[in-house]
Formats: sequence, C-alpha cells, structure tokens
Amino acid sequence: MTGAATLRRYTPFAASSLQSLLQSRSTFLINAVTATTAVGVQVFLWRAVYAGRAGGLPGGYDLPGLTTYVLLAQVLGLLQASRVDEEVAGEVQRGDIAVSLLRPVSYPLARFAAGLPVSLCNAGLVAVPVVLLYALLLPLTAPSWTGCVLFVLSAGLSLVIGFGVNLLVGLAGFVTTNIWGVRIVKDSVVAFFAGQVVPLALMPGPLAAVAHVLPFQGMVDGPLRLLLGRYDGAAGAAGILAVQALWAAVLTGLAALAWRGAVRRVEVLGG
Amino acid sequence: MNFLATAARYARLTWFLSGVSLHRLTEYRMDFLLGAGGLLLRVVCQVAVIDMVFRQVPVIAGWNYHQVLFLLGFSLLPRGLDRLFTDQLWILARKLVHNGEFFRYLIRPVHPLFSLLSERFLYPDGFGELLTGVALTWYAAAHLALDLSIGQLLLVPVLVLCGTLVLASIKTVFAALAFWTTSSFPALYAANQLGDFSGYPLDLYHPSLRWLLTWLLPYAFTAYVPASYLLFGHTGMLPWLFVVTVALVTLALVVWHRGVDRYEMTGS
Repeated sequence: MTGAATLRRYTPFAASSLQSLLQSRSTFLINAVTATTAVGVQVFLWRAVYAGRAGGLPGGYDLPGLTTYVLLAQVLGLLQASRVDEEVAGEVQRGDIAVSLLRPVSYPLARFAAGLPVSLCNAGLVAVPVVLLYALLLPLTAPSWTGCVLFVLSAGLSLVIGFGVNLLVGLAGFVTTNIWGVRIVKDSVVAFFAGQVVPLALMPGPLAAVAHVLPFQGMVDGPLRLLLGRYDGAAGAAGILAVQALWAAVLTGLAALAWRGAVRRVEVLGG
Repeated sequence: MNFLATAARYARLTWFLSGVSLHRLTEYRMDFLLGAGGLLLRVVCQVAVIDMVFRQVPVIAGWNYHQVLFLLGFSLLPRGLDRLFTDQLWILARKLVHNGEFFRYLIRPVHPLFSLLSERFLYPDGFGELLTGVALTWYAAAHLALDLSIGQLLLVPVLVLCGTLVLASIKTVFAALAFWTTSSFPALYAANQLGDFSGYPLDLYHPSLRWLLTWLLPYAFTAYVPASYLLFGHTGMLPWLFVVTVALVTLALVVWHRGVDRYEMTGS
C-alpha cells in the first residue's frame, strides 16, 4: 500500500472527528478554563517562592523562564488531551468495538487519525488564546529560533507518546469498568512525572531519577527543555529527541500488542 | 413538628440508601479501589508539589509547610463529603435533561433534588478524598501543635458542613442551568475547576482573583476562611461563612425549583 493510499484510508476518521468536534464546541471552553486555572495555580505558587528567595532556583530557572515553562507545559498537556482513552473505553463498554473490528483498517491508526484534529484544534483555539492572555499579564522568556524548531519536532513526538499512553489507558476498559478511576490515576501521575506540574530539574534527586526513566518526561519536560535551550550542545538535543523517539516506538509497539490481546479477548467473550 | 418529621424521614432514607450504595461498592471492589486510590494518588502528587516548594523557601505568603498541608487537608474534607453525596448532579448536567430521563425523579414521593441525589450515594472516589483529607489535616495539626479550645473543636464539623453546603450549592446552581440549556456540563466543569485554587493560601493570588473566589464563586469559604481561623485565629470572615452558606443554599434551591418548573412546562 502506498503512502497516499494509506492517507486516503484514514482521512475519513479525521474528518468525522473534526465534524463532531465542531458540534461540541463547549469542550474548548472546558479546556481553556482548565488550562488557565492550572497555569494560574502553579504560576502564583512559584512567584511566591521567588518572592521568598534571594537567588534563583537550583534548577537555574529564572522567574520568566519558569512561568514560560509552566504555561507551555499546560499547552502540551492540552495537545495530548485528545480523549482517546475515554472514547476507546466507551466503545469497549458499549460493545461498539465489535464494529471497529470489521473495518479494513488498523484500529490504533484510525484512532490516531481521529485524535489528530482534536489536538490541532486545541492548539489553535485554546492554546494560542491562553498563551496570549498570560503573555499580556506576565513576563515570559522568548525562545530562540533553534529552540522553536526543535520544539515543534519534539512536540510531534510527544503527541505520539501521549497517544500511546492514552490508548493503553483506554484499552484498560477491557479489564475494569471504572475507567473514570483509571483516568484520574493516569491524569495525575502522568502529569506529575511528565514535568507538567514541576520541571524535572526542580525535583529532588531520587524523584527526578524515577521521572527520567519513565516515558512521560518525553511528553512535557523533553520538548520544553529543547524550547528553552536547557541541553548540552547538539549532542544533548539529539539525545532528548532520541529518547523521545525510542519511547514513541516502544509505546506504539505496546499499544499494538495490547490491542491484539484485547481483540482475542473480544472473540472469546463474543461466543 | 411537621418539619421535624420530614427531616427524620429524609435522614432515615439517606441512611438506608447509603447502605444500598455501600452494598454496590462491595460488589464492584475493583471500581472502588481505583476510584478511591486514584484520588489518593492525586493528593500524593499535590503534597509532593508542596514538598518541592518548601525545599526552596521556609514560608510562602506567610504560610509555612505544615500550615499549607493543613489547608490542603482541610479543603479535602468538604470536597470529599460533597462528592460522596452529590455527584449525581454531574449526570444531570451532562445528560438527564438532554435525553429527557429527568422525569423519573419527579414522580417519586420525595423532593426531586433528593430523589436525584439518592440514586447514587457514597461515590467511592469521595472516600479517597475524605480519608486523605482527615489524615493530612491530622498530620499537619499534630506538627503545628495547634492549641484549639473546646469551642473551636466543636466548630470544626460545622465549618466542614458549611463548606460542603457551599460546594453542593455551587454545583446545584451550575447543574440546574441544564434545565435552560439542556446540557450544562461545560459550565459545571469550568466552575468546578476554579475550585482548584482553594487548596492553596489565597494570599498567593492577585486581589481580583481572591475577590472572585470569595464573593462570586465562594470557594474561599470551603477551606481558606475556616483554616485561617483555626490556624491564625482570623475571625473577620467567619460570620460571613454562615451568611454565604445560607444565601447560597437558598439561591441553589430557588434556581433548582425554577429549573424544574421550566422542565415540567416543556415536558412532553
């Protein structure tokens, strides 16, 4: 199958997802308020920390730098909030997943195609206004051009990692009915270890070590280190991207395996 | 007399229906563990953030480590209680009006609001919040060597109850908007998110935000006001706590009844 044919095959998924997205525009309101609140809580907290300290922070972040980090961390969180987990789990619970098995497409790929417009719309309609709002209110660090280019590359990879995690969480619907509980666990733990709440550089040693071996740091901390220039030369930047790419591949593989296992389970139950 | 009899009847019903819900929890043990455990993990992450903040500075906005922990713990008590008993409101906001199923709650011989809430008491996730809240508050209070008078100790449950009523009322008002807009989930979610600000000292925030959280969406009264009274003896806002609670509960009931009336009018 050629690339163009593959693309054509998955375009309908993206199109229909975009359509239903435009019908439930209120999601953007939710996302905007959530992101604004989360940024606000973190930024005010760290501003108070700065007010109480003579020097900078051990991580080497200055106040505009940290504000930029906290702000963009929420933006990356928005990009990954494609609700893949919720939709997959919902299909499993309603049994609609059986229909998906009949389609001559790869289910994970179709899901990714459906998730992409959500991410892009969140970026355009929610992230940009939230960033502009805070840029008006608080001093931010302007990134370099290299930083921006590396960030775009890295954000692309972070999207794949986030998708892999969400798909795995969604497939947990085969095991438990309380997907809501699983999602709360995922949301808080992933956000924490991704560095969405506190940069990994500010975490105490052992915690940072744990965070570094988990895939989640590639979702937020990696891209933002590249954007803000917190790496050692070209080799350091390449290293961050390589680790991200590795995790993206591993998670894609895991999701594929989990999907295959789940399908077998459906067949057993299907009778 | 009549009022007392009604209250007793509702208390008995609540007790009985909570038992039913508890039974459901023992049936779906995995659900319970995931829900309660999930919120516990969320609190652990919040505490970790506070830990990291206080690695850098001894005091933020006039609050030390254990005082902030106390505030966070205390904020979970009304939140957990509210979650245990009123999470059906989310379902109202999301779909009950939209798909017309709400009529079910109008034909039962109890108040429709009670009828709705009682369909599922004791949401498992509330236990996680409540238990971690109690543990955190207890731990922080022990380290602060709080010297509370008997009167203050007796006031604690009242403060928690008022906080719960404030939270439940905000939730009811936003959920009841669904009677006009058929789905008020986004509005309810957004209002609920702003409650995240209340787990930290309000002194951190810009005065306009503080004003908003005190008078417009009065989350300040669920944790900040009672905690600063118990920790620092600030009594200035305390009388307002009771005024705000009564006013909000009244507002919530009025909005609710208006909404239900409207629903009956359009009901087919």
